[in-house]
Amino acid sequence: MNSVFADPAAWPICIVAGLLTLAGVLLAGAKIVPTLLSDIVTLAATAIAGGMAAVLAMRIGDHPALYWMGGWTPRQGQAIGIAFLADRAGAGATAFAGLMFTVAIWFARGHFAGARNHFHVLMLLFLASQCGFFFAHDLFDMFVWFEMMSVAGFALTGYALRSPSLDGALNFTILNTIGAYLILMGIALAYARANALDFSAVRAIAQGQPDDPLLIAAFVLITTGFLTKAAQVPFHFWLPDAHAVAPSPVSAIFSGIMVSVGLFGVARMVWEVFAPCPVVRHLVHVGLMSLGCGSAVMGAVMALMQRHVKRMLAFSTVSHVGVALIGVGLLGQQGLGGSLLYLAGHGLIKAVLFMIAGIMLSTLGGIDEIGLRGAGRPIWPAGIVMGACALVLAGIPIGPLDAGAQMMDAQARSSGLHGLTLVIGFAGALTGGAVLRVTGRVFFNLGPTSGEEDAAPTDDEREHANRPFAAQLVPVLALLAVWVLFGIVFASGAEDFALAAARDMTLDADFFPRRGLPHVTPVLPWLPALIAMAIASADLNRHHIPDAVYGAFAGASRPAFRMLQAIHDGVIGEYVLWMMAGLVFLAGIAILGC
Amino acid sequence: MGEALSLLPWIGVVWLFGIGLYGIVTSRHFVHLTGCLAAIQSSSYLLLLAIGYRYGAVAPIFYDKKPGTQAVDPVVQALVLTDVVIGATVSALLLALILQLHKHAGTVDPQAMRPMGRAGVADGRQRRGGRVG
Repeated sequence: MNSVFADPAAWPICIVAGLLTLAGVLLAGAKIVPTLLSDIVTLAATAIAGGMAAVLAMRIGDHPALYWMGGWTPRQGQAIGIAFLADRAGAGATAFAGLMFTVAIWFARGHFAGARNHFHVLMLLFLASQCGFFFAHDLFDMFVWFEMMSVAGFALTGYALRSPSLDGALNFTILNTIGAYLILMGIALAYARANALDFSAVRAIAQGQPDDPLLIAAFVLITTGFLTKAAQVPFHFWLPDAHAVAPSPVSAIFSGIMVSVGLFGVARMVWEVFAPCPVVRHLVHVGLMSLGCGSAVMGAVMALMQRHVKRMLAFSTVSHVGVALIGVGLLGQQGLGGSLLYLAGHGLIKAVLFMIAGIMLSTLGGIDEIGLRGAGRPIWPAGIVMGACALVLAGIPIGPLDAGAQMMDAQARSSGLHGLTLVIGFAGALTGGAVLRVTGRVFFNLGPTSGEEDAAPTDDEREHANRPFAAQLVPVLALLAVWVLFGIVFASGAEDFALAAARDMTLDADFFPRRGLPHVTPVLPWLPALIAMAIASADLNRHHIPDAVYGAFAGASRPAFRMLQAIHDGVIGEYVLWMMAGLVFLAGIAILGC
Repeated sequence: MGEALSLLPWIGVVWLFGIGLYGIVTSRHFVHLTGCLAAIQSSSYLLLLAIGYRYGAVAPIFYDKKPGTQAVDPVVQALVLTDVVIGATVSALLLALILQLHKHAGTVDPQAMRPMGRAGVADGRQRRGGRVG
């Protein structure tokens, strides 16, 4: 037993197996274990898992280690076993996931009264499979964890058993399952060429045959599947429908970490397996970056047009993950590190925002921005937190979100791409503006006249929390404290760690050199936040704008807005066609790049 | 002959994937849609099995064979088996969700789905007339 703990490489399997065992025990004892006890045990388990992963990330340092299950180490150069990889990228991601789950389960206390402990079982399964995914060093192993995670997510989405949440869950399940089968087909093609599933073994084959069409096709299929989970345009359609209707603590997890898992999968595939293929690098640099830009822009525009607060936050997730995808597509360590840091910063803030949405649902009895105008005044502290988060989302130059953005921007400049700041700023300004508008309208009774968001879909959902407002706000503040800790106190430490994680993930390869952070005028970093405030105040003071001015602007933009609303119509068949169009787009770039 | 035969599973893969996709896009009933999803799933199994197949080889059970006898690849079969389990879980979950949807919404037509539920849009329209307009 002692030797297991002495060898850090064995820790990942301990974390995953421990969480899975606990989930099984809680499920078996569902009828006898009181909810309070499951709360305590689950919270302790997720916190310990996250803590262990954090210690592991520190201990493993510069020496990533493989753990071969059952001692099936490679024989004569042939990897016949299945390995877990303990590196800073995986361990850091797991530590972050542990933190998010702990806070979400804490926040969820009281939200699911009378449901016994099935919620805890699903959350533990969700976390365990995410950890397995982060540590996996084998294509099929990775796929199995991915599918397990998805199934737990599907079940959690439909947990409330209301008609909209069932619709959202079905949508989520069907699109993501098609994505998963595409991944499986990709894995099959990779196996057909490499006769192995271990990352290093497939990579060795890719090094020998960098132009092999089978490997390139495998990458296209696998990436499509992971991008579906990462909700990138045009694979994103399930996300607003599912995030908006899932219970708020679950939405916090979805936006905070699950969507990032898809991106993590893409990055792992690119760097650990397929990087030796020049066509794959071309595809990542051109295809993924354009999809990322498209997601960043479209998610931001859609967010501004919503009135259902959770749906708005969901679209903002599409936008911000799009920015992070650009970071992966930059093909450099600094860009990847920036992308990881950006995802972490976004996850923290977005989880806080979804929890505020949960507080609105339970205390104000609704989630519709227009219907709740002024209703939030009694709980103004939540409004202040929401406003602050909106500014962070917009990109004020403090905290991990901005640090990540700057790292990506520096990398982009070194590759001659000077427009990235514009995309990041656009995404931040519009999403931040949208959230500021909600804050002003709900908590400060502003904005009597509504505009384009009027036509957006909404719902009269409500959640029941048998706990006072203050008790619900505590986990939110705790998560904000973590943000302050990483954003301000340990800012340079977080940046160094992200770079180190990126170095581990890229196996120390770097296709574009690193560059120092650009020197900019002191006003420029605040510009997106200022624009966000301008957008929000323009939206909230619509009754002061002369009809001729507003009419001209609204008339010009209405057809585009209407079209965007119309394609997000909830019909699964159309969403599937969009997904196939995305697959054809990626395949087309790969074929043209050959 | 051998060439045509080795091409056959690939044609089958594309065919199964294609009809599954067509079924999902045009489906008017969620249970039918679940079946179409199973067709797509089967296409991935066929692909895996085709990749592992060796002509003239035996099943990978060495109980009564000499070690070293040419056998088909057992790894892909293990992958298929694992994924059958996952696929069954997903199908079961989907059917359970559909049953609940039938209970709560009274319809199981995917084309009738709207974001935030069917009632959501109409409700929004009402609210707009009532409170804001």
